[in-house]
Amino acid sequence: MALKERPKPFLLPEYCKGCGRCLDACAKDCITLSDQINPLTGLVPVELDLANCNACGLCMDACPEPYGLRPAHEGEIQDFELEDPAKLFGVKPSDAPEPIDLPSEVLPLPRTEPLVIKGTYASALGALLAGCRHVYGYPITPSTEGAELMAKFLPKLDGTFIQAVSEVATVNMMYGTAGAGLPTMTFTSSPGFSLMLEGVSYMIGAELPGVFVDVMRGGPGLGNIAPEQSDIKLACHGLGHGNTHAITLAPATPQEMLDLTILAFELSFKYRNPVILLGDGYLGQMTGKVQLPETMIKPGIPKWAVYGDAMHRKNVITSIFLTETDLEAHNVHLNAKYEAMKVEARSESFLCDDAEVVLIACNTPARTAKGAVQDLRNQGVKAGLFRPITLWPFPVEELKKAIHGTQRIVVVEASAGQLEDEVRLALSKAGVRQFPEIESVRRMGGILPQQSEIMTRVLGQKEVLA
Amino acid sequence: MSKASVFYDKFERHSHGEGLKGHATHYCPGCGHGLAHKYLAEAIDELGIQDRTVAISPVGCSVFLYYYFDVGNSQAAHGRAPVVALGHKFANPESVVISYQGDGDLASIGLAETIATAQLGAPITVIFINNAIYGMTGGQMAPTTLMGQSSSTSPAGRNEYNGQPMKMAEIIAGLDGPVYVERVALFDAKQRIKAKKAIQKAIKLQVEGRGYSFIEVLAECPTHLKMDPEATAKWVKECMEPVYPLGVKKDITVEPWFKRNPPCFKGEKLLSLAGATSEHSDRFCQGFPTHLDAQDISLKLAGSGGDGAQTAAMLIARAAISEGFDATHIPSYGPESRGGTSYADVHVAKDEVLNPGSPDPQVLIAFNTPSLVKFGPTVRKGGFVIYDSSVVTEAPVLDPSIKVFPVPFTGIATDLGKAVVKNIVALGALQAATGIFPKDTLLTAIRVALKDKCALIPLNEEAFAWGIKSVEALDK
Repeated sequence: MALKERPKPFLLPEYCKGCGRCLDACAKDCITLSDQINPLTGLVPVELDLANCNACGLCMDACPEPYGLRPAHEGEIQDFELEDPAKLFGVKPSDAPEPIDLPSEVLPLPRTEPLVIKGTYASALGALLAGCRHVYGYPITPSTEGAELMAKFLPKLDGTFIQAVSEVATVNMMYGTAGAGLPTMTFTSSPGFSLMLEGVSYMIGAELPGVFVDVMRGGPGLGNIAPEQSDIKLACHGLGHGNTHAITLAPATPQEMLDLTILAFELSFKYRNPVILLGDGYLGQMTGKVQLPETMIKPGIPKWAVYGDAMHRKNVITSIFLTETDLEAHNVHLNAKYEAMKVEARSESFLCDDAEVVLIACNTPARTAKGAVQDLRNQGVKAGLFRPITLWPFPVEELKKAIHGTQRIVVVEASAGQLEDEVRLALSKAGVRQFPEIESVRRMGGILPQQSEIMTRVLGQKEVLA
Repeated sequence: MSKASVFYDKFERHSHGEGLKGHATHYCPGCGHGLAHKYLAEAIDELGIQDRTVAISPVGCSVFLYYYFDVGNSQAAHGRAPVVALGHKFANPESVVISYQGDGDLASIGLAETIATAQLGAPITVIFINNAIYGMTGGQMAPTTLMGQSSSTSPAGRNEYNGQPMKMAEIIAGLDGPVYVERVALFDAKQRIKAKKAIQKAIKLQVEGRGYSFIEVLAECPTHLKMDPEATAKWVKECMEPVYPLGVKKDITVEPWFKRNPPCFKGEKLLSLAGATSEHSDRFCQGFPTHLDAQDISLKLAGSGGDGAQTAAMLIARAAISEGFDATHIPSYGPESRGGTSYADVHVAKDEVLNPGSPDPQVLIAFNTPSLVKFGPTVRKGGFVIYDSSVVTEAPVLDPSIKVFPVPFTGIATDLGKAVVKNIVALGALQAATGIFPKDTLLTAIRVALKDKCALIPLNEEAFAWGIKSVEALDK
């Protein structure tokens, strides 16, 4: 039986770090550590003397370098002369195809009668209509019904709901599915959202879409499960470490829980960035009239995704930029993106045109404020409501119009001034220096501002109106 | 033996392809990562799965796995690689997902994710590089550092205050989720062959959809173990192996199970799950009940958990919306969650509910004494209070303009044979007392709510009728 001719090893000295793993592997003592420093690498490669080599191949198996010891091609000699590295590096890095976008489809839905459902359910339906079939979550009140509905519906839609071991795991499962280019979301509440922020920062860094529905509750710490607007600051300015921003939507009705969830998916793919939907404990639980849209989305796969197929093979999802200049360039790119997101600013102005007192509020307090505006108008007080729908980017141009000519501004919120800070920051950045002193109606701890309290503040009375 | 085709022909991603690392890895001389990479690349090659593979790089030295592998690459946060892998696997069950992690990553910060993912058992492959030390950050103590071993954070050697070394392969093998767990090493030719085979087998099990597999690789970190490469290999063999014995820790045969249909995007299916219908329900109202309020009627329903206040509140909201009005319902449960106090704020508005809270309702339905005592005084002048006279024996004094309707909700419901319909009795009473909607509006809402329990409809209709009769009897 003729033995198959086996190639002897071949070594390019630049690729050898002189670790010596091949020395041990060689039974014929063909390899020695050298004392010759390679001028190109500064390392000390091994030396081969193949006189006794029987081409067993063990040295090549032992070499940790993919391009280190390799089988010699026919006629290749070991006396290697240093070449210009540019000559060596001419090969194409990958033969994978150029990825292209596989577009989403918009599918028609029949017009249906309005549903009567609670806010978290509306949001969950919105996500399903936006094409989301991958939901991960960790149960936390008062957002749990959203996750429960997903756990019930998704298996019937051949989707995935996984209850993760923690919020940290949740957001990283989202990172994986988003990296594969598919829509993904979670339901959480304030203490859970805090835990997710590491992952949110990574998603922003890696430019991944994803929707976070945060049904805010009372804090700090464990606080309670009643509604508070405790995460405005976190969502607008504290999304984990680094230079991070995400469009933050603040719905005020179950209908908006649905509509803005759908919008959140759209924006999150448009900008390749997470989008935060800030609800509050009331809104999550509140049942109302919800009209479904007349279309739904079947998602495609974007060209940047790491889906796990030939088309997307050469892609990489990462947030690491080891070289300072690279990271700076990445951050400049992210900042340009954040700047571009400003066109997404949305708001609602209610009777602000001639208002002498403008209330500013979002989420459920905005509805209370709207009730107060109506009552104040009935009493002959020219009141109006400005409701930011995006908290970041803050709709400052619309705010400027709403408060134009007003004598008083009253910020109504279920927090210690987190919304007011956004208002002040937005006005300051927009160069607005002249505006009435901001008054406030604030409740915390799970108590929402009451309509009577707003009336009292606006009318300057100490007693609550009958 | 020759370079696997999965390796890029040139490492363009390293320093933009410039410099000396164009064809050499960035790992230190003698580092185990290079060999583990080779075996992984060869396995991908030999299984013919290059196009389907997604490699998850962790943090640490091997965060740059994506410099070398011409497969889909995703880089994860410290310790989170296994759950990122799950995210990829669920997104595309056809993909082959490999989570490549070091010991600080897998056994320390990511322990929860590691264990939970292994126990979940979904087919992914975890390659665990155990070098008994944190490599990239400069040689600190890892969960896998040996007793007595010095590191930059255990300079006098690991002692009992730092706990014992973590034997991950044994821990993972102790779980029910994984199908295959093996510990291998790289220090001699025999171990290298075993390592290569183990990695290939682990990935093959995933390709076949059988389940989660875990390969622990005892690897050398000469730089931070502060030895030359030869001595490090010897140290791994002589010091690490006795603590971390090599071999198969778990290998069970399960039938392939991880097969998933593509997600469904059929509109009808989604609508039917949501309970949405195109059928227009009948309307009975001639107009908005302006005799109560021109625009917006505020109600509160209060009782104990189990009284059915929330269900009744929901039925009022549904009834209003089916009549083309706007309505909201906010439940409020006491901290007892179930069985505690429970009340509901309901609004019915002609056009839009502006403020959904009911701090001063026009209508109060009270199911027990504390609810009546608490909320009775909040009812607006000229409003309505309807309460369960079966349980409230002495009503508090309310403003004389308030119309009060004591109705024995519980008594009637009990006589009907089902105490839980007391909330429907209350709805009947509400209808008769306030005329908020025609009877058929509320009855339709009740019938729709019971469409899956049709047998209960007659009982509920009867309860509703008794509620009406009781109020009418009061008027006489």
